[in-house]
Amino acid sequence: MGERKRHRILMVSDFFYPNFGGVENHIYYLSQCLLKLGHKVVVMTHAYQNRSGVRYMTGGLKVYYVPWRPFLMQNTFPTFYGTLPIVRTILLREKISLVHGHQAFSTLCHEALMHARTMGYKVVFTDHSLYGFADAGSIHMNKVLQFTLAEVSQAICVSHTSKENTVLRSGLPPEKVFVIPNAVDTAMFKPAPTRLSRHEIVIVVISRLVYRKGADLLVEVIPEVCRLYPNVRFIVGGDGPKRVRLEEMREKHSLQDRVEMLGAVQHSQVRSVLITGHIFLNSSLTEAFCIAILEAASCGLLTVSTRVGGVPEVLPDDMVVLAKPDPSDMVQAIKKAISILPNIDPEEMHNRMKELYNWHDVAKRTEIVYDRALKCSNQNLIKRLSRYLSCGAWAGKLFCLVMIIDFLFWHLLQRWQPAEDIEEVPDFVLSHDQDAGISPDNKNQSFR
Amino acid sequence: MDSSMTESTFPTKPKWRKVVYGGMQPGFDDNHADESFLEDMVTNANVVKRDMLKVMQDSMSISQYLCIVALTGLVWIYTLRSTLNENSLLLLDVTLLGLGFLILLLTQEMLSLNLLLHYLLNVTFFTTGLYLLAPIYQTLTRSISSDSILAVTVSLLVLHLFFHDYFGSTVRTLGALNNPTLTSCISLNASVVASVFIASRLPSTLLVFAIMHFSLQVFLFAPLVTYCIRKYSFRLHLWFSFGLMIVTLAFVYALHLFLFVMFLGLLIIVTVVCPYWLIRMQEYKFEIHGPWDEAKLCFDIID
Repeated sequence: MGERKRHRILMVSDFFYPNFGGVENHIYYLSQCLLKLGHKVVVMTHAYQNRSGVRYMTGGLKVYYVPWRPFLMQNTFPTFYGTLPIVRTILLREKISLVHGHQAFSTLCHEALMHARTMGYKVVFTDHSLYGFADAGSIHMNKVLQFTLAEVSQAICVSHTSKENTVLRSGLPPEKVFVIPNAVDTAMFKPAPTRLSRHEIVIVVISRLVYRKGADLLVEVIPEVCRLYPNVRFIVGGDGPKRVRLEEMREKHSLQDRVEMLGAVQHSQVRSVLITGHIFLNSSLTEAFCIAILEAASCGLLTVSTRVGGVPEVLPDDMVVLAKPDPSDMVQAIKKAISILPNIDPEEMHNRMKELYNWHDVAKRTEIVYDRALKCSNQNLIKRLSRYLSCGAWAGKLFCLVMIIDFLFWHLLQRWQPAEDIEEVPDFVLSHDQDAGISPDNKNQSFR
Repeated sequence: MDSSMTESTFPTKPKWRKVVYGGMQPGFDDNHADESFLEDMVTNANVVKRDMLKVMQDSMSISQYLCIVALTGLVWIYTLRSTLNENSLLLLDVTLLGLGFLILLLTQEMLSLNLLLHYLLNVTFFTTGLYLLAPIYQTLTRSISSDSILAVTVSLLVLHLFFHDYFGSTVRTLGALNNPTLTSCISLNASVVASVFIASRLPSTLLVFAIMHFSLQVFLFAPLVTYCIRKYSFRLHLWFSFGLMIVTLAFVYALHLFLFVMFLGLLIIVTVVCPYWLIRMQEYKFEIHGPWDEAKLCFDIID
């Protein structure tokens, strides 16, 4: 096996630090591990408040905060062609060989992938979420996704359920869609140094308190469990519109001393909350992957979760108790979890998680996808247009028009600002030792 | 797929599992998909098999209401042409009011004097209010040309028909729980404005009062009455609709031949063509459900 090919990857998404969430985490850790593997990684996202321009993070990860303001839920305003000049400049400056977009509702990602395809780059797309097929919003999103994925070289999903969903939504052949899960930084989520006593059982909930995360299920489940087990206590972390309902429930059943509401929990504080509990309760109504479960399991907590989306695939059966998203079934599941709690050793659970999930493994698997993507053959505009045309009677023609205008715009730009005039960035190699890895301390330093 | 190539290097091939933990599964690529792919997908789970006769019967409510509105339009036209005078209009009002009450009382299970008194009191208020307001209505649109008023009235009626709640009743019987939807309120308001516009073209105050009383009776209470009939007996509802259709067609024929053909065509489209079309369209129905759907909560959320 000769010298491995070094990729030069541009990660594009609207979602990146300082924002927090599954996608942000995924991009950050994946980039760090790809850097370790010797690839060059550049991240492109939109500006966050006054964080605009180029920043460097741990391990020499270069981040372009493109000065486009988010207009809705951290998304940039869709302009189709507004981002072409800056995307082109970044691609040329950084001598990118492959563009990797993340998350289906990131407009920046869709636009960048479109421009990259126009300019003949290979693109990979990762889908982090699930969508239904019934409501108008989903129908629109599915059409947009079909447009982006019509030409994507390879796609990645975070779970098998997510893959099925993506294949249905976009009409991609299943063999073009890879399943590569998220992982968890097990070094960051260690169990408590001393084992907690079993006199009192603490159930931890950490999620945004919104409908989709099943906050209404919690309102039904918590009083019932408190009634059945006088030695159970709840800790609820997170904020959201449904917090009022939970507080009302607490008043109504006078559980003030048994249900603790922490409000919003910083991501850096999540571990310290998790290790105070025995059981982690996830009540989501839809979930493509659920990193929260991984974090809890890594801290040695037994997980009780609703059986939705990709959740059943995430953990082995002996590490999680699954239930239907209905209050009585969830109470049964908590009962079961309390009964098997004496057999759970947090330290052992943590060690198992170390073997099950690893960001380096994720990066290696993603590398294979990149290799595949680069092997795909190049196609000329006419051939590509025919693929868009097959996307639908009206949508197909619309997609073609969008692509043709993009193509013309690109040629205009090439006249106006020839590629030779764009200065290339010299590569520098950071002499990092392997141990000073991707731990959160280093990461936080880069913010301050 | 590449998995078939790697297969030979593993003599005892472990079974592929649909899980994401534990890294890449030995012997399988990440893009592997076996026969369990999409096996949890359910298509057309909630599709109701419709049969032609049932859809046609259901469409009767629509044609019935179309007839009611057409009859109202006819009364308006005859009044504007001075074919109907004050006395005959008032007689019509009283007859309709009495008939409506009779039907309401006969079809409602609990027939009580209290309810009747309640209704009577309301009707008295309504009539008095209308009588007092009639002079204002009469002069409301004096500065606007009749053509514009007619055009606006017709558009408002079309709007009314478009948004009308054909299977319920915006005005509820006592103790009904559901609130009317926004569209049915828009529809009701459009019809009331149309009646005011028509009334404002009439020469005398009494005529204005009579026509307003008539129109409001029809638009406010006809849906309620037909709703009660339908709830009481579906057969009666069908016969009533048939009768209404024949009467309306006869009156429209007497008015104008072209309008008659148009109206007949409309009724045929509503009762025959549209149901047939709907049944044919069912073939293209393709609903997808699967584990990726958001779970539905099986209890009500009371905020």
